[in-house]
Amino acid sequence: MKKTHIVLLVLVAAAVCIIVSKFGDFSTYETFASASKQPGKALHVIGYLEKSKAMDYDPLKDPNHFTFYAKDKSGNVNKVIFNGEKPRDIEKSEQIVMKGYIEGDAFHCTGIQMKCPSKYKKDQVVVGNAS
Amino acid sequence: MDTQFIGEHLWPGRLGHFFVITTFVGALFSAFSYWRAAKTEKTDAYNSHSWQLLGRNGFVLHAASIIGIFFALYYVIANHLFEYHYAWEHSSLALRSKYLLSCFWEGSEGSFMLWTLWNSILGLIVMSTSKTMETRTMAIISMVQACLASMLLGFYFGPDVKVGSTPFMLLRDSMQGAPIFQSANYMNFIKDGNGLNPLLQNYWMVIHPPVLFLGFSSTLIPFAYCMAALWKGDYESFVKPTIRWSLFSGAVLGTGIMMGGAWAYESLNFGGYWAWDPVENASLVPWLIMVAGLHTLLVYKATKRSLIITFTLLLLSHVMIWYSTFLTRTGVLGKTSVHAFTGEGSALYWHLIVVLGLLVVACIAFMAARWKGLPRIKTEEATSSREFWMFIGSIVLLLSSIQISITTSIPVWSPLVKWMTGKDVAPPVDPIAHYNNIQVWVAIIIALLSATILFLKFKQSDAKTVLKRFGITGGIALLLALFIGITQEIRAWQYALLLFSCSYAIVANLYYAFVVQKGRLKQLGPSVAHLGFGMLLLGILLSSYNKQVISVNTLGVIIPFGKSDAENAKESRDNVVLFHNTAVALGDYYATYRGDSTSKSDPRTFFRVDYQRIDSATKKVEESFTLYPDAFVNPKGQEGLISSPASKHYWNKDIFTYVTSYLMPKDKGSFIDHTVKEGDTIFVGSGYLVFRGFNRDVKDPRYTPQEGDVAVTADLAYYDMKGQKGMLRPIYYIHDKYDNQITDTLQKEGIMARLEKILPEQKSALIQVKQSKPTDDYIVLKALLFPYINLVWLGVIVMVIGFLISLRNRLAN
Repeated sequence: MKKTHIVLLVLVAAAVCIIVSKFGDFSTYETFASASKQPGKALHVIGYLEKSKAMDYDPLKDPNHFTFYAKDKSGNVNKVIFNGEKPRDIEKSEQIVMKGYIEGDAFHCTGIQMKCPSKYKKDQVVVGNAS
Repeated sequence: MDTQFIGEHLWPGRLGHFFVITTFVGALFSAFSYWRAAKTEKTDAYNSHSWQLLGRNGFVLHAASIIGIFFALYYVIANHLFEYHYAWEHSSLALRSKYLLSCFWEGSEGSFMLWTLWNSILGLIVMSTSKTMETRTMAIISMVQACLASMLLGFYFGPDVKVGSTPFMLLRDSMQGAPIFQSANYMNFIKDGNGLNPLLQNYWMVIHPPVLFLGFSSTLIPFAYCMAALWKGDYESFVKPTIRWSLFSGAVLGTGIMMGGAWAYESLNFGGYWAWDPVENASLVPWLIMVAGLHTLLVYKATKRSLIITFTLLLLSHVMIWYSTFLTRTGVLGKTSVHAFTGEGSALYWHLIVVLGLLVVACIAFMAARWKGLPRIKTEEATSSREFWMFIGSIVLLLSSIQISITTSIPVWSPLVKWMTGKDVAPPVDPIAHYNNIQVWVAIIIALLSATILFLKFKQSDAKTVLKRFGITGGIALLLALFIGITQEIRAWQYALLLFSCSYAIVANLYYAFVVQKGRLKQLGPSVAHLGFGMLLLGILLSSYNKQVISVNTLGVIIPFGKSDAENAKESRDNVVLFHNTAVALGDYYATYRGDSTSKSDPRTFFRVDYQRIDSATKKVEESFTLYPDAFVNPKGQEGLISSPASKHYWNKDIFTYVTSYLMPKDKGSFIDHTVKEGDTIFVGSGYLVFRGFNRDVKDPRYTPQEGDVAVTADLAYYDMKGQKGMLRPIYYIHDKYDNQITDTLQKEGIMARLEKILPEQKSALIQVKQSKPTDDYIVLKALLFPYINLVWLGVIVMVIGFLISLRNRLAN
């Protein structure tokens, strides 16, 4: 075997090890129910804004505190706390992807991504990343 | 019967569509002719030459047609012909003319057109310079061009199958069935277009996409030369032009990517120039592979080794451009990308899959057909040789791009995993930490190699000289790294290692350029490019590692770079409220919000924020400056802000600020009714108003008297504790039987008054007054500090200059 081949093998092996060991970084899409079974673990929840319940953002009290309620794909409604400013146009969002973790009753959100319908086309509009 | 529509301009569209078809047919014709020319090259030179001429004509027709499409589309947009869907969707009457070109790349069709245009211009250059390789390279280029041009066709096969999407689609065809198009004069109702996305109304967005697309196009040429070399079985004549084009590609694509970074940094509020976003990664990967391929090609030129890996890398680079188009334009990334891209539906999705499939199959088939005959060298290269380490560096770059691609492609492969295991995989919660933790090792290795390989010689190096140079430069680099590491407090050990690698890359490349090469321009290319790369890495390290959120009220600084302190990141709180005229401490500065302003020529609202740095001991103002972060308030009928940052640039750091929230003027306070007679007093928060009576003598620039009008003002004098401070004269007038009111404002005190009604029986007036409370007037601001960010830009510029020096020297040869 040539030296280059050996080095190649070592490099590829190292790369595979690193990549596989970092699979742990990958998150999963969960529901509020399955997220609450693993409190504190950061994950993704896809849901919709629950418009029947009030949103709360008062920058005078705390510019980094926005709460709202979201319904996940299985229909459960949960309180969401976002440590950041209220995302633009969240009222009109069709779908919300929330990054965060369950603590107590609430879902603590570190990032919000929204899908908003514009009048004529479906856009992906993204807002807010607290991290 | 068909409706005869009134007021449409159909000829630019018809002409444009004609050009679309000739573009496609021209490319196909050219590909076929060049293919025939290549086939008959050896057997029938006369015939081959005729086919070659036909191929050239076909390609010129193709290129001319794209220019035709360009001008037809430009005409449609510049003349605001909103009967065309493209103009209606992406432009508006209010759009400033300097942004007209940006409309081209807001839409998918326009970007494909731009890409085709660049390809065809590069194709024309290849046509006139490639000599013996012409027939085959041009056949490949024309074939790719046919694939690209098919993206613009907009042909329907039956109601559901659509091939391509034309920019000359009429509005009434794109929204069939909408009731407005029942009327022949529908154009009378379509007064204005949808307008350009405010984020694209920025000078970076005028220049970044064309450069990036030129970068995309530039990868086609090495691809075509490699395919041609395989096709012909000639592994010599492709080397020189491919090196030149790879250098060109490295320079242009690199510039395009970092211009995107500069755009993000200057005008988006992502809070940085690089976020490992899928769209950014998608253009980085082809560049990494192109650079790797360039290096193995240099190895091949010098030693005849590494041919197979060279072909693999250079072909892959262009294929990855198509893959990145697939990722970013079809909406597969969907919920994972922060870029506002629109999915174009399943037509484009399958179209791109077919093209990608064709390219991959063609690459594999060409390689497989020549596999046995590809020259290989049996002997081993010396460990002290340059080619050995260049090969390793290229492999590391390839592995790096594989890792980036795997994570970026999560939405592509996650359905498979879900089907197998039931787990719905999502991207990492903290993608920046994920990529940084892995890619830091790539950066360390590449930085070390980038300087080391220049000291080594092809085939065999003189160990003594090399070791001496390592010793000198390594020693200096260690001192430099220690100095920077201690002053900049870089504690994480892997980043300390990266700091040493960067320092070494900088010191050793400078040493090589000036001591070994004696600064001769002819040989400076590699060392300058590598020097720039080292500076870029150092800039990234310093600006990200010590990036500071200075708008934090609570303690705890959040740095996602290297310190994956997840708990800390989760609780990041980096917004701060600035009340009007109230100073707030931001890091070393005191920031004071001084109010907002708008102008007629600009749709944005500007927020003035004054900054002062005050010496804590002497209380002397050491420095003061003003920043104007701006935002589109309620753009395109949406609620809220699209804000752009404003930065204060120092040589060694940037203060980067943007507005995240703001109370709209209409929401500030509310009017309160007061029925008053002459001499009555109205109390407001800060003082009182005295109603001095009506005044028939209306002198106000906002009101132009017309015949038959009745106009009157209510004169209100404002007093505070110290005396009279101003007059308010709200106007009430009757015009054409209707009553109208013009509100008057006392700007300084924030008082607004309206004369709502006159009550003649009671000889009194209904006056509405409001005063905005000081607490109503505020902005929410985010402020970041990026140390040594200029090193990032300088590094990129130096690196690109290095590419260009190499290119110039190789063209001169």
